Amino acid sequence: MSEIVVTGLGVISAVGKNLAENRQALINGDCGITDLSMFPTRYAGLRPCGEIKTDTETLKQQLLAGEKGVTRTSLLALQAFDEAVADAGITPAQLAGSDTALIGASTVGGMCLTDELYHDANKKSDGSEYLAEYDCSSPSLYLQKRYQVGGVINSINTACSSSANAIMYGARLLKHGLCKRVIAGGTDSLAKFTINGFNALHILSPEKCTPFDKNRQGLNLGEGAAFLVLEKREDVGSRKIYAVLKGYGNSNDAFHPSSLSDDGIGPQLAMRQALLEAALAPEAVDFIVTHGTATENNDLVESIAMLQVFGKPPAFISTKAHIGHTLGAAGAMGAVAGILGLYHQEAYPAIHFQDPIEATGLIPLLHYKQQVLKHAMTNSFGFGGNCSSLIFSAL
Amino acid sequence: MYIHKTNCISAQQTFGNIDLQTLAPAVENKLFAKEPVYEGVPPGMLRRMGRAVRMGVGCALPLVKDQQPDGIIIGTANGGMEDCIKFLNQIMDYEEGMLTPGNFVQSTANATAAQLGLMTANRKYNITHVHKGLAFENAVLDAMMLLKENPGFNLLLEGLDEISTYNYNIDYLDGWYKEDLTANAGLYNVDSKGTMAGEGAAAFWVSDQPERALTKISAVQQLHTEDVAAVSSFLQHFVKFHLPEGTSIDILIAGENGDNRYRHYYEAAYDLFDTATIVRYKHMFGEFGTSAALALWLACQPAFPAHAIKQRTDADPKYTLIYNMYHKNQHGVMLVERL
Amino acid sequence: MEKEQLKQKLKEQIIQFLNLTNVKPEDIKDDEPLFGEGLGLDSIDSIELIVLLSREYGINIQDPKEGRKILVNVNTMVDYIVEHRTK
Repeated sequence: MSEIVVTGLGVISAVGKNLAENRQALINGDCGITDLSMFPTRYAGLRPCGEIKTDTETLKQQLLAGEKGVTRTSLLALQAFDEAVADAGITPAQLAGSDTALIGASTVGGMCLTDELYHDANKKSDGSEYLAEYDCSSPSLYLQKRYQVGGVINSINTACSSSANAIMYGARLLKHGLCKRVIAGGTDSLAKFTINGFNALHILSPEKCTPFDKNRQGLNLGEGAAFLVLEKREDVGSRKIYAVLKGYGNSNDAFHPSSLSDDGIGPQLAMRQALLEAALAPEAVDFIVTHGTATENNDLVESIAMLQVFGKPPAFISTKAHIGHTLGAAGAMGAVAGILGLYHQEAYPAIHFQDPIEATGLIPLLHYKQQVLKHAMTNSFGFGGNCSSLIFSAL
Repeated sequence: MYIHKTNCISAQQTFGNIDLQTLAPAVENKLFAKEPVYEGVPPGMLRRMGRAVRMGVGCALPLVKDQQPDGIIIGTANGGMEDCIKFLNQIMDYEEGMLTPGNFVQSTANATAAQLGLMTANRKYNITHVHKGLAFENAVLDAMMLLKENPGFNLLLEGLDEISTYNYNIDYLDGWYKEDLTANAGLYNVDSKGTMAGEGAAAFWVSDQPERALTKISAVQQLHTEDVAAVSSFLQHFVKFHLPEGTSIDILIAGENGDNRYRHYYEAAYDLFDTATIVRYKHMFGEFGTSAALALWLACQPAFPAHAIKQRTDADPKYTLIYNMYHKNQHGVMLVERL
Repeated sequence: MEKEQLKQKLKEQIIQFLNLTNVKPEDIKDDEPLFGEGLGLDSIDSIELIVLLSREYGINIQDPKEGRKILVNVNTMVDYIVEHRTK
C-alpha cells in the first residue's frame, strides 16, 4: 500500500502569519496569548486569547478577497490554504481537477459575526450579506468556489478534533484512490460565541495558560488556520516531502458531553489505534504534540492516558500555550508542529510550565533540542468525547 | 455497501405503521416532523437535547439497541444551530454576563453522534460530517471506505436536520423559501421561487454483507457547480461508470423542490433518464441539507405513493439513481440497487 | 418569604431551569442529594444552578467547586439563599 506523504503546509496563528514565522516562534518559545483587542467583548482584558493582530478588513485586502460575505474564519483558511497549495507546487489547473479533494473543518464558521447572526436569526433585519456563511461548511465552500476545486469537498465538525479527523478523512480518500491530492485542515476565528461558551463552562483561564502545570487554571482560546497537502508518495516526483502520515486513529470516550473519563479511555484507544495503523510500538514515538488545553480535566486525563499507553511517555509539549486553543484548527495546528519537528529534526520546548501535576509527575520538554526524531504523534480530544490521534514519520 | 435496517422520522408517517399514501400537509410552508415516543432515551439526557439531537438519537437508537455498531457516522447540515442561536440570544440578552452552558454544549454539530456514543457506551469511530447539502453523501462515502478498510464491520449511518426557527429565518431572508402560502401537494406545480422547509432523520444499519440486506448502495458522488451542462455530464458519467453493462436506471428519485429558479438541473436529469420511473420526495419531507438521507430511506421502501410519482414506467425496479441538488451548487448522487 | 414557600419555589425553578420534564416538585425531597445519586444531576447542571442563583436571587458564586458545597440538597440551597440573597 502506497505511503501517504505531506507535500505542503500552510499556517496562520497568533505567533505567525506563515509557516516560517510559526516555526521560528516554536523554536524561540514565543507566546501569542494577549488581551483581546480586535473586537468588543466584556472579556477583553479578562480572558487572554491567541488573537491574530490583523483586522478582518486588512486580511481581505492582503488576500485580495473581496467576495461578498467572506468571513474572518474563511479568510484565515484562505491564508493557510494558499500557502499550503503554493508550498506543494499545486497549479490552479490541478486544483480545479476532479482528482483534488478539499477537506476542511471549523466549529465557528461564520458565527464569528455574532451581531449579524443575532439580527438575521431573529429576523430583526432584511438580511446581512452573511446569510449563507454562518454554518461550519462555509470556509470549505468558500475555498471550493474561489478555486473551483473539482473533487471531493467535505467539512467536518467534531469540536476540538475536527481538523485531525479532516486529515484522516483526506488520507483515506487517497488510499481508496478517490483523489490524487488532498488539502486537509481546519480554521476557526475568535468569536463572542465561543468565548462566552467556554467561559460559561468555567474553563477559560484569566491568565496565560499553563499546560500540564499543577496550577493550571484553564484554557485560552485562539484563532488560526492550518492546512496540509497530502499525496501518495509515487505522485510526488522531485517535489519536497515533509513527512509521512504513518498512522491515525479515532475513538469515542463515551463518558460525558464535555469532560473526559478519569482513565482517558477514549484518548488511549485513539493513540493505540494510531500506533496499530502505523505498525509502531509505543517506544518508537519520539515526540508528542499533545492536546494539552490546560484545563484541569484534560491535562490530567491526557497524562494518565499517555502513561498507560507509553509507560514512560516521550518528550511532549502543548502548543496551546503559544497560540491558544484554536478549536476547529487545533488538530491541524498540532500536526504542523509535529511535522516541522520531524522535517527539521528538532524538538520544540514547552512554555509557561513550572510544576508537574502531582498525580502523574509528567514534565514536558523544557528546552529546544536538535535531535534525531523518527516519529511524532499529535493528539486532539474534543467535546462529546471525540478523540483523534495522528502519527507522522520522518522520511 | 448493504443496508440491513432503517428507521426514519419525517413529516410523513415513516415510522411505526408506515403510511406513505396519506400526504400530511405542510403548515405555513414548513414540513415539521412527526416525532415518535422516544423509547430508551434516559430522561436525564432527553431533557438536554434540542430537537435535532432528539430526532437523531431517537431515530438511530432502535437500530443500535441490540447490537453495537463498529462506527457511528452522522451527516448534518444544521444540527445544533438551534442551540447555537439560543446561546447567542443569551449572550445578547444578558450582555455576556452569567450564562447557562447547556445550550453551548448541545450546540456542537457532533452532539448527536456524541450522545449516541454515550448512551451505548460505544468507543468506536465517531464522526460528524457537516458539508451542508452534501453532509449525508460524505457520510455515505465515509461508511463505504470504512467497510472496505474493515470487512465485516457493521456501521450506523445517519442523516438529520431540523427546522429551527432561527435557521428558517436565515434561509428565508436568503430567499430559499416560498413567500406565499403553498400546499405541499402542489409544490411542483406552483411556478414561483423558493421551496418549503423540512426536517427529519433517516438512520441505516450498513455492512458489507449481502445476506438478508434490503438494498445495496453501489456508489456515491458529489459535484460543486452551477453549470447545468456540467451536471448533465456528471450524471451521465456516474451512471455509465457504475451501472453494470446492459442495464439502465429504472427509478430516478429526484430532489426537485418547487423552486422554479433551479428546476433546470432536474429537467436535465429527467431528459437523461426519460425511460425511468421518476419519483419526487420533497413535497413529503421538505427541503433541508441532508434530505438525501430520506430519499435513500424511500429507495428502500417496497413501493412509492402515487402522489410522489411524476412518471411511471413498467421498468422492473432494480437500479435506482438518487439525485439531489442543494442551494444551487451542491449536487449529490447515489446509485442504489434493490435486492 | 417563608422557608417552606422558598423550598417549593426553588424546586419549581430547578425543574424549569434544568428542563426536568418528568419530575414534579413533590418528587424532590428536601434532603435528597442533588448530585450523583438522588436527582442525579451532573457538572453542567451545577453550573446551571449557579446561574439560577444569580438570576433569581442575585447570588454570585464564582467558583463551581465552591458551588458544589452549597448545592448539596434543597435544604442547603435554601439556607444559602436566605443568608446571601440580594434579590
